[in-house]
Amino acid sequence: MAEPSAASVRSFDDEALPHLDALYRVALRLTGDPAQAEDLVQDTMLKAYRSWRQYRTGTNAKGWLLTILRNTFINSYRRRKLEPVAMDLEAIEPHALFRAVETADPEGSFFGRLVDEKVLEAVDALPSEFREVLVLSDMEGLRYAEIAETLQVPVGTVKSRLFRARRLLQAKLYSYAVEMGYIKPRERKDG
Amino acid sequence: MGEPIDCGEAEARLQDYLKRELTPELAEEVRDHLIRCRGCFGHAQFEENLLHLMEARARRETCPGELRERIRALLRAEADQH
Repeated sequence: MAEPSAASVRSFDDEALPHLDALYRVALRLTGDPAQAEDLVQDTMLKAYRSWRQYRTGTNAKGWLLTILRNTFINSYRRRKLEPVAMDLEAIEPHALFRAVETADPEGSFFGRLVDEKVLEAVDALPSEFREVLVLSDMEGLRYAEIAETLQVPVGTVKSRLFRARRLLQAKLYSYAVEMGYIKPRERKDG
Repeated sequence: MGEPIDCGEAEARLQDYLKRELTPELAEEVRDHLIRCRGCFGHAQFEENLLHLMEARARRETCPGELRERIRALLRAEADQH
């Protein structure tokens, strides 16, 4: 069987290396650890290089690389020591964050700072099935169909997980905003 | 364009609308509702703003240069073996 030639190395470089930032970011969110993220990206690139012939030029290189990265992570890496526990979505009031920001910070100045400081922490606190969809969609800009292919789930599942992921993320940001004193906790009715 | 849609329908479509995954006709109906409904407009703006802020924060993390170099060297070594 033909091995990758010098020419194919060049085209692999052209197609794959531009996605190193995205691969590293996703690896960081999956592993939660910079050293493991580096190993994961390196393993991914080697695997991708070795199966370069199976990849058809012109198809989505980013999606292909992210699929290899995720499969490598699932098969060979330790799960996070503390996998976040599922939160009860029903207990989260829809639009609580929007209402609070709308009332307390119509200019959005604190909100911008809050997101900047806390959003990665909030993403890392999501259960993995929600985290990975949110990262691929809202941080890396993949479309539903690309995410479905990467995760090997139906598009409908991607949509519903993204919906829930965003709700959970906003609930996290809401609780950070309360902790940091940006917004007052809601008065709860007795009961 | 069909009948005007209500707030519930606009909200149900909002996620797909902001991801630009609606057909042009369905997106137009959402846009038309948002123009006429201040509450939904504010909410859509909030969601869109949050997405922009998240993406901007995410993009500030980049692959370390040292890792990039290590990977280039590994790929060259792989190529030289064959």
